[in-house]
Parts: sequence; C-alpha cells; structure tokens
Amino acid sequence: MELARLPIHYRFLPLEQASQTAAESNRNSAMPAIGRTPRTLSIQRLDAGIVVVSFFVGDQRQNCITTEVVQDLTEALDEIDSGPEPQGLVVASSREGSFFAGADMARIEMLQRTTGPEIERICAAGRGLFGRLSSRPWPSVAVIDGVCLGGGLELALACDFRIATNEAHTMLGFPEVKLGLLPGWGGTVRLARLIGIGPAVEMIASGENIDGTAAAKIGIVDACVAAPQAMESARRMIAMQLATRGYLERRQRQASEIDLDPDERDFFEATSAAVILGRTGGHYPAPPMILQTILSCADKNAHEAGRIEGAAFAKLAQSTIAQQLVRVFRLGERNRRDTGVGTPGSSVDRRPADSPADRRPAVVGAGIMGAGIAASHLRAGFAVTLVDVQSESLTRSVEGILDEAAWNRATKCTDPARALLLAGQLRCSTQTAALADADLVIESVLERIDIKRQVLASIEQVVGPETVIATNTSTNPIAKLAEALEDPTRFCGLHFFNPVRRMTLVEVVRGPATSDRTIAIAVAHAKRLGKCPIVVHDSPGFLVNRLLMPYLHESVEMLREGGDAKRIDRVARAFGMPMGPLELYDMIGLDTAFYAGLVLNDAYGDRFDASPVIPAMVRSGRLGRKSGAGFYEYSDSGGQRARIERPDNGVAALIVPYALPARQMSDATMTNRLFLPIVLEAIRALDEGIVRDGRDIDLAVIHGLGFPAFRGGVLAWADSLGAAEIVRRLEPLADLGIRMHPTPQLVEMARCGTRFTE
Amino acid sequence: MNATSRSSVQTALQMAAERVPVVVACCRTAIGRSHPERGLFRLVRGDALAAAVVKSVVDRSGVDPKTIEDVVFGATQQRGELGGNVARIVALLAGLPLSVAGTTVNRLCGSGLQSLAQACHSISAGAENVQVVGGVEHMHHLPMDSAIDIHPQAFARSSRGMLSMGMTAEHLAATHGISRQTQEGYAVDSHRKAAQAADNGLFENEIVSTIGHDEAGGLVEAIDDQSVRRDASLAVMAAMGPVFLPKLGTITAATSAPLSDGAAALVVMSQAEAMRQGLVPLVRVVATAVIGVPPAMMGTGPVPATRKLLERAGIAIGDIDLIEINEAFAAQAIYCIQELGVDPAKVNVRGGSLAIGHPLGASGARIATTLIHAMGDMHARLGLATMCIGLGQGIAVLFERVEP
Repeated sequence: MELARLPIHYRFLPLEQASQTAAESNRNSAMPAIGRTPRTLSIQRLDAGIVVVSFFVGDQRQNCITTEVVQDLTEALDEIDSGPEPQGLVVASSREGSFFAGADMARIEMLQRTTGPEIERICAAGRGLFGRLSSRPWPSVAVIDGVCLGGGLELALACDFRIATNEAHTMLGFPEVKLGLLPGWGGTVRLARLIGIGPAVEMIASGENIDGTAAAKIGIVDACVAAPQAMESARRMIAMQLATRGYLERRQRQASEIDLDPDERDFFEATSAAVILGRTGGHYPAPPMILQTILSCADKNAHEAGRIEGAAFAKLAQSTIAQQLVRVFRLGERNRRDTGVGTPGSSVDRRPADSPADRRPAVVGAGIMGAGIAASHLRAGFAVTLVDVQSESLTRSVEGILDEAAWNRATKCTDPARALLLAGQLRCSTQTAALADADLVIESVLERIDIKRQVLASIEQVVGPETVIATNTSTNPIAKLAEALEDPTRFCGLHFFNPVRRMTLVEVVRGPATSDRTIAIAVAHAKRLGKCPIVVHDSPGFLVNRLLMPYLHESVEMLREGGDAKRIDRVARAFGMPMGPLELYDMIGLDTAFYAGLVLNDAYGDRFDASPVIPAMVRSGRLGRKSGAGFYEYSDSGGQRARIERPDNGVAALIVPYALPARQMSDATMTNRLFLPIVLEAIRALDEGIVRDGRDIDLAVIHGLGFPAFRGGVLAWADSLGAAEIVRRLEPLADLGIRMHPTPQLVEMARCGTRFTE
Repeated sequence: MNATSRSSVQTALQMAAERVPVVVACCRTAIGRSHPERGLFRLVRGDALAAAVVKSVVDRSGVDPKTIEDVVFGATQQRGELGGNVARIVALLAGLPLSVAGTTVNRLCGSGLQSLAQACHSISAGAENVQVVGGVEHMHHLPMDSAIDIHPQAFARSSRGMLSMGMTAEHLAATHGISRQTQEGYAVDSHRKAAQAADNGLFENEIVSTIGHDEAGGLVEAIDDQSVRRDASLAVMAAMGPVFLPKLGTITAATSAPLSDGAAALVVMSQAEAMRQGLVPLVRVVATAVIGVPPAMMGTGPVPATRKLLERAGIAIGDIDLIEINEAFAAQAIYCIQELGVDPAKVNVRGGSLAIGHPLGASGARIATTLIHAMGDMHARLGLATMCIGLGQGIAVLFERVEP
C-alpha cells in the first residue's frame, strides 16, 4: 500500500491522532487482519468506543461512490461487526470539501447498459449495505463537511443522525433528477420519512442543493455546526442518543409507513403534479415519477418502499431521456476539461485555474453586451476595467452592472453591501490608455465593422505585446476585423449571448491567424466566468446563429403560408424549446434580427432568401418586445418582462403582399419543417469543420438555442431518428426548396446507416 | 315561596347575570381596497383606524371608560404599524384611561372573532369584565406574505401549497364539483346584496366616519366600502383569468375576497354590569367554538366549528335565523352553506367579504358587527358568525338578541 495515497487530512481528529495514517490505525487495531486493505477509507477507533470511518477516494477528483467504495464499506462494517461492540459509528470524509459528490458516473452508465432486473438487484444490494448503518445496537452519525450529493446523501441519510458543517463548501442535494433519474439506494424512502413527503418531493424533484444551515432548518441534518466542532458534536450526539435511546425511536419511524392525512395527501398530489407539469412541460419523466414513487411508498413500510423505489429507478435509468441527459452531463464534463486547442480530449486541462486576482481583464464598450460582460466578470471575482469614450454611457451602465453583479438570487434583490464592495472592483474610464495594463481586452462596441476596426487598432496601440484582444461580435468576420491589427495572432472572437447573465454559452471564434495560445487563454477565461466556451472557426453566423437562422426563417415562411403564430410557437414549445421562434424573434428584436440576417443571407443565400417580412415589420415599427409589438402585442408597452397579450393583428395585413400559397399542415409536419433544417445546417457545419467535434454542436444548441436537453442536442436528436428517417421526412417537403433537400453527406449516411454522434 | 328562597333565586339569577356576556355596542370603519394608488386608506395607518373605531364604539356604547379593563384586538400581521402589541397602543391612541390594559391576539382570519370569544370567556370566568374587542388589518401596508418564516418542518404533515389559500380553495372547488359559474353567481349575489344594503342605508349605523383619501390624493370622508361593485355581472367575471392556477383554475379575483384595510370593534361586558351602567345590551354571546381541520381543507373550517357550537348550545342549525359565513372565497362559502344545510336566504343578507372586503384580522369583528345590526333590524333571535382560517381552522360564535 502506498502511503502517499492515504488520507492526510484529518481535520476532525484530535491532534495526536491526526498524525496517524489509516494504515497505521489498521495495523494498530486489535482486529484480525482482513484479506485486502481498504484503499478508499480508514477506520479509527477513538476512546469511548466510537468508531470513525473516513473516506478518501484517491483515484477520483472528488469522493464518489465507486465499486471499490462499496466493497470497502462492506468489509469495514464486517470488521466492526466482528470486533468488540462499539458505542457508536461516525461516517465522515477525510477529503477537504468533499463528503461524497455522488455515484461514479461510469457506474451509472454501466447500469444503463444492463437489464431492468439487474438494476433492481444492484439497487437492492445498495439499500441492504446502507441499511446496515442503522441496524446495529449502536447509533450512527454522518459528519458532512463538503459536497454531499446523490448517493453520498443517501449514505448520510442511512445513518441515524447527521451533522453538517456551516462551511461554504458544504452542500447537500439530490442531482439525480437532472440526469433523468431518482435516488435509487433508499434516498426517496428515507428522506420522505425524515422530513415529510412535500419537502422530500420538492428537494428530489428540483435537484437543487442546500447548505448546512438550510439542511438543519428543513430537518435533513440534526445540527449544523462549525467545522472544527463537527467531530466532537458527533460524539456528543452519540452520547445523548445512548442515554435517551432516541435513535431507536427514529429507526422505528424511518422503517414505518408515513402517517398522512388523506386530504393533505390528495391536495399535495394535485398541487405538486400541477407545479411539476408547469416546470417540465411534460417532457421530463423523472419529476412526476419521483412524485408518484414517494406518494405510492407513503403507506408502505420502508422495506417495501425500497423495492418500489428500485423499480422506478430501473425504469428511469433505461429510458432514452435519462441516457440523453447522462450524455449531456458528460458533454459538459468534457467541455470543462477541454483546453480549446488540439484534438478535443487529447489535451486535458489539468492546470489549476489562475486566481481571478492574477488576471487583469478589460471590456471596451458600455452598451448592453459590454455591461453584461463586465458584470459577469465582477460576479466571478475579477477586478475589471470598463472603457467607453462616452462618459454618459459609462455612467448609465455602472448602476446596471453593479445591480446585476451584486444580485442575490436567494433574496431576489441586489445586496447593497456587496454592490459597494464590487464598485471598488469596477474601474471605469473614457480613455483607451486605461487599458495599458490589461492582459485580456474584450471589445464590445457597436456592431459596425468600421468602428470595430478603429477601436481594435486603438486598443492594440496601448496594450502590452502579450495581451489577448477579443471581440464580442455576432456578425463580423474575425478575419476582416483582424486586418486592423498588427498582430492578428493574439486576436479572436468571444461571442457572448444576450442576456449575458443567463446565457452560459460563449463562442470562441478562431480567425485564420489566431494562435493556439490566444484560443487557450480565451477558453480558460470564459470558463472562469462560469461559461461554457465552444471553439468555432470563423464563418458567417459562427455556429449558433447559423443554426438558429433556418429555424427562425421557417417560422416566418409558415406565417406567409397563412400559418397561425400561436400554433407555430406552440409546436416549437411542444418539441421542448423554451419559447417559440416568433416569440424569440420578438425577444431578439426584429431590427437586430434583420441586420444579423443580412450577413447570413449573404453567405447562405442559396438556401435561405432574405425574408421580406422582417424588413416590413421593422418599417412598421414592430421591433419586438422592446417596442411593445412584434409578432405579438405586449403588456405595459413592452420590455423583456412584459406579458404576451395576443398575436399582433396588424401582422396579417403586413404579410399579405408577401403571401405564399397556403399549405395545410399537421403539427408533425410543422415540427419537421422547423427542426430538420437545423439538422441539415448542423451537418453542413460539421462537414465544413466549423467545430472540432460534433459534440460541441450538441452542447452549443442546448446552451445557446435552448434546444431541449432531453433530446440530447440536435445531432443526438438526428441519431434518435436515424439518417434514413430524416431523408424520408424531408421528401414531402422537397418542393419548399433547397433548404429542405438532404445534403449529399446525409444521403450517404442514410445509405450506410452512419451515426451523427460518437 | 318564602322570602329566603326568593332571595336565593334572585342571588342565583344575579350571579348568572354576572357571568353572561353581552355586546352593548359595535361598529366598524368602511373597508378600503389595499391598493397603493387607489386604496381608501393607503395614507392612513392601521393603528389609527383601530383607534378611531375604538373611540367611536366607546362613545356610542355610553360605557364609563373608567370601568373598561382590557382592549382585546385581533391582527394577523403584528409588526410595523400593527406591532408592539397594537391593542395597548390603540388604547393609548383612543384616549382610554391608562388603567385599561391591552392584548393583541392572532387566530389569523379568525382573529376578530377570537378577540370577542376570549373576552366573553373572561367574563364567564369572572375575570376581566368590561372590555373593548375587535380587529384591524392593513393589507396594503403589511402584506400577508412578507416577513414570515414558517418552519419548513411544519410542511412534513402537510405541504407548502397549504400556504396558498387560493390553492386550497381551488382544491375544494375541484374535489366538490363547485363550478366556476356557480362561484361567479355567488359573487354577483354578494355584491348585489352589499350594494342594496348600502343604498338602503343599512350600513349607516355600523360604519363610523373616518378620514380617507380619494384617487386624486384629496381627503374624503370614508363611509362607503370601497370594493362593493354595483356593476358586478357574470359577463365581466367570466372574462377574468384564474389567479391561482393559470388556465386550469376556476377561481378569479372576482371569486376571492379582495385584499382590504379596515377595523371593527365591539364593547362587551356582563349582563349585570350593563344593567348597573344603564346600558342596553344588543345581543348575548351564547356559545363559541374553534376547531382544526387539515390545512389543505382550510375553507371547510366553519362546518365542524359550527357543528361543535350547535352541540354546545344544544340547538339545531335550523334554529338559527341569520348567519354570517365569512367569504374568503366563493367556493369555500358555497361548500359551507351546502355542507351545513343552511337556507342561503339566511346567509350574509347584507353581502359578504367578496364584496365588502376581507381585512383579515378585522373581518371577524366586522361580520359580528354586521350580523348584530342585521339581527336588530330584522328582529332575529339567534345569529351565527363563522369563519374559515388559514392553515386549517374554523371558528364560530352564537349570538342571541336581547329583547329591549
């Protein structure tokens, strides 16, 4: 056994024991040696007969429940059972900031590939193992310091009591629902019995994490204490429980049916089902399954309830949606490791991230986008310089920037103390000279190539030779902008989406001259802002807007054929989009869409004519939400928070001159018309090498377009249909024009049965 | 019968009269909408409204202020301008002698009736006798859902949805087949009855004049309930959207009691004390009852509360002449009327809270006041006031008119 792999962090133990390694403790114990030595945990025997099992899963980035952990825990419990009877057991982690982050993803993927009965068998085994933690004459306490998620929380819940620390890194939650699953090792059973079915459904079906204080309030943990007090608190808890025998009463309750008033049960079912339907749009099976599982388990004892939970888990685990969501999770993981250069996955980013304190970013242009970018820097802990030649623009934007940066999501208002603090981190200037010490400058001025070129040149004049210069543009070719610079290798695009605070996607655009170093710095920086950067090659519309265009374009074509605006949007939402294409037009702004469209039509005019409707809308003053009317009329004369009142009646008259022959269509045909052109365009982009890997396309459409994650992204969706089926669906649409014609690659894929994704 | 036994009977009667609680006066403010721009009382504090109504009721009753022992006032939001035991502050504001004590009670929507009930219990127990009771609420200044931190573990036996009274009413309507149209018909009636009562001057004796503000910001004499609509119609109501359950729900703003500001107060004492002071009792308080129900079934509270009350009083529901059932929601009031099997013609004869408004902590005192005035005007013998209460309770109080 390598000593280096053993836990070294014994923050809970008294000093003299802290120097003892797990190996020593095992050797020193009077227990008969077991065949293999556990690598993921250590067993400590404290005075007063308390046994402490501390986990440190060294071969993982965080403690997670691997096959080896299961084996080690089984043997540790065997060892405790065969030794002198302890007074109590404490389950803890000796890894800083990590109790257990959950199940090993590889294990979940393995489970998904096996059969239903096998999944149920594994769940039963897990429940059996965890059940041992509260089945002996002595009480058990979990000490939770650090993340405690999924299977980790199930492990903690399996103990009689839980003590959490009030450290910022302590987080409890059940993220399973985000993967289309539910907790499968007794989590739904134990939590519902511990805190009640309502709070249990809320926590498990939302997948939201809570800190130690909130966990104590809701009753998931029995106390929240300062970290240095945690182990001592656990010992006192054991002493108290031994004295009162209170743990036996709790075990009884945890094992029994839930006492529930029938009216309360019915009311809860009705209200929760409505809330879940509202949140999921009916697209995600896990939340309603969680509700039904917990409800149907309520009048069963814990043993029977566990079986029901296991069956529900098996059903969800084998669903296509869970498989898509697990894949999307993996795409995110991969993205976080991707440096942005070289073959994706080959150059894994293992460097520790620089502290924000070491970076000196600057933003030029205090418009909506520039302000949003500056605010996201403040939120991420950067000091940022904001330059705008117009002092009024600067002044106007500062309030909004601080408001956004100091926004407290929990209280839904700006934290004034934090705003004051962040004000000191925001340096504003009207002088380009203020950029002199910046190591990364993000230019975000007006979308006009002449102005951008001028500003970029002036930035290069004042910054150092190593400074990376990025432009936030959605339409201008990076190659053209780069001409303004003496050193185009240090230049790239950094395309943020509006609103910056909510949109996680950032396109990092590689121009023909951009260096690997520049891309790597831009990618690393975007990640530090909490964004999901996708590296794309310089081409009109880059990736996201290029894929968005056919979708938006088709919605207007359908309007011209006499389609109903609300129906078009409803079909898109039924597919899983957060909003329909016409609502999206109104949100983007028809004028913005018009200008962006010019660039795209210019490049892809063979398949997408510039629609005459958009300029007509702009001429009639219908600019979308911001003007109070677009394809829809808005309440309170518009704005991003206004309500849709009704389709704008004037639009029909406006379309008349551009009307197309009317077509009667089923919802299915409308869905095909809206979404298959995105697939075609994605195939073209992939073929042109716009991205380094098709998986980037799926991640980009999910984060950038709101493409439904449960479909796994546009290519995963295409795979779920199969190339041949897509060709078949396109056939009846062929008369609409080249935009509906299969690309040669697609025809070839249909012939060979090739897949779109890995 | 000899002299000794006659005197012992008289002593017994006298002793009984010492323990029988009676109401000698009751009145209320007009009820304003809780609206930041248009509310009648948006520029008037809740404690000032309460003080105004207390001062009026003491003056009207003719009670000797020096004999008042306690002010018992209900308020559901006991903070800000209604904080710090507002009943005591109201006693000070109303100019009552410093010897008058004050306590603020909270049984949420039942607070106004609770203050009356517990004052009567005190009289029956031979404790504090002459008391001013009532309730106050200012739902604009003190919104009902802010500054509250309910222990999440309370939801273990219920669910978070119980905090939404509207959702509980939706559930009641859905599970008992109370259609939207039925609810709207009921609400139209409530407005019609309230408007008629107001137009016929039936509220003149109960509403005390206070200061309010009109929409332009000018001073007005507040003597009319602001939420009563003379143009209430099925057609208008049918066009409104559900407020608690968008698209699917049956309950709209028209079939929910409006958020309101107002206060009401009564003077209670023993029958013997009223006689000593030469005051004419309006009603005796015969019996009171409270009960808990599942929080999700909040709106049903009046049913078991009333049944308990009838049993205590030894009478049947048919014996009662006039009934005030607080209208938190039309659906809930309809349910209670059906379930109790009462004649709708006896219920809320001057309109209910759907029209008049529902200033939570004041409403119990408001419906008692309206009921007592109606009992006098209509020569009713027995009157019942009952209310549903958030988080699942019911309260009921039985009155008997005292023949002058």
